This record gives sequence, C-alpha cells and structure tokens, in this order.
Amino acid sequence: MKENYKPQFYPGETIIGENRRKHMDPNCELKKLREISDDDLVRVLGHRNPGESYKTVHPPLEEMDFEEDAIKDLVEPIEGAKEGIRVRYIQFADSMYNAPAQPYDRARTYMWRFRGVDTGTLSGRQVIEIRELDLEKISKWLVETEIFDPATCGMRGATVHGHSLRLDENGLMFDGLQRYIYDEKTGHVLYVKEQVGIPLDEPVDVGEPLPQEYLAKITTIYRKDNIGMREDKEALEVVETIHVARSEGGFGMNSFKHDLKKRLGEE
Amino acid sequence: MEEIKAVDIQIFPYRYLKPETTEKILNSIYSLGKDIIRVIIHGQSLPKYVYYGPARGTPVNHPDRKVINVNGKDVELTVKVGKFIITVPYEKSVELSKKLDEICKKALPFGYSLNMGAFTKVKPTVSDYLKYGEGFEDKIDPRLIGMVDPTSRTSDKVKMIKGD
Repeated sequence: MKENYKPQFYPGETIIGENRRKHMDPNCELKKLREISDDDLVRVLGHRNPGESYKTVHPPLEEMDFEEDAIKDLVEPIEGAKEGIRVRYIQFADSMYNAPAQPYDRARTYMWRFRGVDTGTLSGRQVIEIRELDLEKISKWLVETEIFDPATCGMRGATVHGHSLRLDENGLMFDGLQRYIYDEKTGHVLYVKEQVGIPLDEPVDVGEPLPQEYLAKITTIYRKDNIGMREDKEALEVVETIHVARSEGGFGMNSFKHDLKKRLGEE
Repeated sequence: MEEIKAVDIQIFPYRYLKPETTEKILNSIYSLGKDIIRVIIHGQSLPKYVYYGPARGTPVNHPDRKVINVNGKDVELTVKVGKFIITVPYEKSVELSKKLDEICKKALPFGYSLNMGAFTKVKPTVSDYLKYGEGFEDKIDPRLIGMVDPTSRTSDKVKMIKGD
C-alpha cells in the first residue's frame, strides 16, 4: 500500500500551484539564496545568547525511567526531545504583496517537512513551536532558502501587524516596531531588533530584497494582478468539491432531507 | 451652523511614504495658497514604546517618527503616511485637483490615485458632543469637527499652519 501511494501535495495547474507543491514536497530542494551565520540567527530569535547552553525541562530520555510503552519504541524522538531541551518558537509574517510563502502554505510545508513541530495558523502570521535545538536548524533553512524574502517576510514574535498593508517606498512590509531597516547605501535589509522588538547590539544582515518580478514567479499567493485563483481551473475544482462536501456533510442534507420532507408533509 | 460648501480630495499613494516625501508633498500643497481649507494625513500609527509582548515598554525609536517642517512650522509625524485628505472649496475643486495631480506626478513615481468626494464627516456626531459638549457648533472652528477623538488631546493631533 505504502509503495503505491504517491502524495500529490496540492492541486493547481498554474505556477502558484507548482510553487506550493515545491514548498510541500520534502524531496524538493529549495534554492538557497543567502547565508546567515548560526550566531546571528540565534540573536534574532532571542531565546538564548550565542554560545549559551540550552535550557532543559527534563533529564535526557535515556536517563529517565518509563513504564513499558509500545509507542515509545515505535517513535524515534527528535534530537531536542532526546536531550530534554525546552520548546521555543519562531513566527513569520508574510506580506500579501507576493511574499514567497503565506500562513497556510507554511503550515502544510512544516507538517510535510519537519517532525515534532506544533504550528499555528493565523491570518497574517504563522508560528512554529519545537524543541529549541531543532528550532534553530529549521529556522536556518526557513531564512536561507527561497521561502523567505527580507522585504516581504518578517520574523516577528509579537506585534505582527503589516501583512495586509501597502509596502513602503523601499519595498519593505510595514512594521510598527521597525525590527528591520533598509540600508540605502548597501541595499541590504538589516535586523536591528530581535523578533519581539528588543534592540540588538549589532545589526544582522539578511541580504538584499528579491526583485518584484522574481517574487511574482516564486510566490504562493493567488492575486488578481499576478495569477488569479480563477485562472487555475484545477485548484478551483478541488476547492469547490471540498466546499460542497463540507456543506452537505456538515448540515447533513442527505441524511435529513427525507425526514424534513416528511415533516413538511411532502412524503 | 453655516453650511460650508467644501469637498475633499483624497490622495492615495500606492506605497507608504517616507517622512521626506511627506514633507515635500505637504509643502507643495501649502504652496497652492489660501484656498486649501484643511489637510489631513492618515496612516498606520508608529508607537513610541512597545505596547505588547515581552519587550513591552522598550522605546521603539522608529526612524520614520520624525519632526518635519511644514510651511515653517515643526510637526511631529506619529504615523507612517498612507493617505492625504485635502479639503477645498467646491467651486475651486476641479482647478485644485489638477494642481494636486501635478504635485503627485512629480513626488510619487510609484503611482497613486486621486479621488474627489466626501471623505470626512460633514455633520457632528456623538463623539464630537462627548468631546465638546452640547451646543458647541457655533463656538469652535468648524474644521475641528470630527478631527479628534474624545480620549486624546487636540494639541497632539491638530496643528494650525497658516497658508501663504
């Protein structure tokens, strides 16, 4: 059974559908666009100081005594869980102006690609919670590959407002706390605050914003001024099928209609 | 209350503006002369301190929260400007909207839209009565109606700048 099953990830015959499939497919290597050092990333995350050891919430699993449990033998724990490291988070906000990812796409991507994550979807932001050790590895991938754009995506732990607003004159998404600034001399985006808004000692360079034309090609957002959802027949068909199935199933139309007709005296 | 025959012209840039651009546009608007009745700038507020989350209380130091000079008067920008609403006399509205269009063409290369209509309140409402009390209509400058909410100070939100 397992060999026959081939995941399809996402419907859609346009480039948007294709991009979403690329994000979700764990075998698809995403292009690496920038390099950020481990220490810099740790500073932006703000959970510990670079070089500091991880805080733990329980002793390593090997040293703990458990009752016999078949599930514990079946499931291999992730690195952070083995060490008993605490759970921390990273949260992204993605602009509606052709950001490479968006919350629902991120949720599905996280679930397909990573183990042991807890992710939460909101309209403008997507949080991922996992053991801190694994979080740093995941964050590095999320920031260095083409799933991230310095201008239209932001690492924002709190006060995320800005995803649905116009961009500013430099092409950056609005941020009331101004965690990152555009350096007009170098054309790079610099993080001057960590994700919740506490100032950093030294700015962290996350590279140049991607050009608008390139963003339009790698985005996973259907937009009327780029590629509208109505242009994508296949995606629309799937969405409509789900909508109909949910409505009919949810209201129990097929089960209750005879009953209703009887009450109305029609049958 | 005497009826003011005025209309609003709204400038809606397609990007949020830097303080320098805002300053440039405001000065050009004021250079149009005494026909301009009122100018409102609207946008996302820029907090002075972080008001939520683990960093609560730390100063934001937003680079766009700056003091700009409009027609010789210093104004502190507390918003990231995304919209201008300019109130002008009805009979001069067409002429002035053409002039404003010229200003925008030069200052806003990334695009904008310019509309004419009623974008502000034309009659006092409950919040005005809460702020000024009953029967205030004849006692204050009618341009202040609907400008400030009852919980904030008028001096923080309204600046009197004399036109040329």
